[in-house]
Amino acid sequence: MFDIVRITVKGIFRDRVFHGILMAALLLPLIPSISQLSMRQVTELSVTLSLSLISFILLLLAVFLGGTSLWKDMERRYTFSVLSLPITRTTYLLGRFFGVALFLLITAAVLGFVASVVVTIVAGNFPPDRPVVWNNIYLCVLFDAFKYILLLAVAVLFSTVSTSFFLPIFGTISAFLVGSASQQVYDYVHSSSGQVLSPLVRQAATALYYVLPNFSAFDLKVNAIYGVPLSTGGIVLTVCYLVVYAAVLLSVAAIIFSKREMK
Amino acid sequence: MNAIEISGLSKTFKGKRFTRVEALKNLSLTVGQGEIFGFLGPNGAGKSTTIKTLMGLIEPSAGSACIMGIDISSPKARRRVGYLPENPAFYDYLSAEEYLAFVGTTFGLDPELLAKRSEEVLKQLELWEARKRPMRSYSKGMVQRVGLGQVLIHDPDVCILDEPMSGLDPVGRALVKEIMLDLKKRGKCVFFSTHIIADVESVCDRVGIILKGELQSVERVEDIMTRGVVGYYLTLRDSGGGTTELYVPKDELSGALASVRDQGGEVTLIEPRRKSLEDFFLDIIKGRNG
Ligand SMILES: Nc1ncnc2c1ncn2[C@@H]1O[C@H](COP(=O)(O)OP(=O)(O)O)[C@@H](O)[C@H]1O
Ligand SMILES: [Mg+2]
Repeated sequence: MFDIVRITVKGIFRDRVFHGILMAALLLPLIPSISQLSMRQVTELSVTLSLSLISFILLLLAVFLGGTSLWKDMERRYTFSVLSLPITRTTYLLGRFFGVALFLLITAAVLGFVASVVVTIVAGNFPPDRPVVWNNIYLCVLFDAFKYILLLAVAVLFSTVSTSFFLPIFGTISAFLVGSASQQVYDYVHSSSGQVLSPLVRQAATALYYVLPNFSAFDLKVNAIYGVPLSTGGIVLTVCYLVVYAAVLLSVAAIIFSKREMK
Repeated sequence: MNAIEISGLSKTFKGKRFTRVEALKNLSLTVGQGEIFGFLGPNGAGKSTTIKTLMGLIEPSAGSACIMGIDISSPKARRRVGYLPENPAFYDYLSAEEYLAFVGTTFGLDPELLAKRSEEVLKQLELWEARKRPMRSYSKGMVQRVGLGQVLIHDPDVCILDEPMSGLDPVGRALVKEIMLDLKKRGKCVFFSTHIIADVESVCDRVGIILKGELQSVERVEDIMTRGVVGYYLTLRDSGGGTTELYVPKDELSGALASVRDQGGEVTLIEPRRKSLEDFFLDIIKGRNG
């Protein structure tokens, strides 16, 4: 599997889509000047902008690399030459997944480093009221990467059932939008104002909340921007959630991919 | 142990709107080690379907097959196999050298052996100059040769080639034939599909002819050649010293020889006139269709 991870990462580094998306990272150094436009909380603003930009870049990478990886291999008929090697389909699928996942982590690390330089510069010029809590910022970037690794598993699953480019890309984007909103919907449904809804709607919303991936659990932006302390329990739980949920998605994907005919 | 054993293999494709294509019907076939087997049939006969099933790319609807004694349902069956897909395509962002290194690693070659084999194969296939260029810059013939590199890199016991000569120029075709004969000399099994009769005639030990998903006949190429003799060309020197040529049908050979002797002539050359493999092939196709 390691060989497949390696050629996957190599492939991404040589991919045009990746080069295009990385152009967006060139916006990071512009953040100090943009942040200065705000009169107050310049440092907080620069942290917010940096984290949002990183998040956006990781989102694009997860959707496009995840949604197209297996699909493209089948479309371009690479699967004939590769799946006839003495490896199982599951090995191939996991190799592809971990390759992209590793790449997301590398990108997050590099962008996180650039962002920390940016924020340091801003904080030097505009000392914030509260000191910057670096650990929270780093954790926020890491959990952002985790979030998109989970989204990547969704994308890989879509990729195994699809014969076109459409489903993996748009399916993944929809899953992301719904999965990001599900916490809010759940909270609303269970709030006092949500009681006006019919019980059926409330049950359906609750069921969806448990079935769909919950991406908002990975969002630590508030903690990073305002230095709100993190709960260790919550972090451990989120990591467990990632592992279990991704394992389920990948198992289903592996079963489908193993049965799929390469014609 | 046979290199390839296929028994009762069938494949039905389910198409759109409940259409079904019986691409392969109850195919049984064995191919021995050290044998070159040609799988001959017109386009759409079911050759690629057979080969993809052997390689685990598609699931058979019925029947089973083993390669070197291992059932094809296990990825282990592919350990000792080199496979060349029809019109192959490879990760175009890798160079031939990187790709062969990847393939060799999946076959478990250690790095030292891999580097040695990679150099040999790239040189043999005349890809050495281009080995560091990404494959997206390769011509069709070069891509086909990378495919042969994938077949050869781990020195497999069984080579399964789907239309290996297609897309190659005459030099490339000659190279493929040379490689196949070399593999045979080293005791390897080569199973290849083709729709070109001349390919079979020049290298194969046996040929299987497939038509509309059904295996029609399996013959030794040698046998077709001898059985196919329909008559002889005789070159004669008569008593005066002049030479003449004479055609005699197969059954009349001994009579003709006797009469030549009686007239004091001398037979200097007897050449058999064969029905070619092509005639044999066309007879089968016509026989089944007509
Ligand atoms: N994926 C598929 N779906 C439906 N029919 C198929 C599919 N692949 C092949 N066929 C049909 O199966 C038959 C055999 O095809 P194939 O094995 O590719 O032939 P060959 O390689 O001998 O030219 C053809 O009639 C072809 O149309
Ligand atoms: Mg074919």
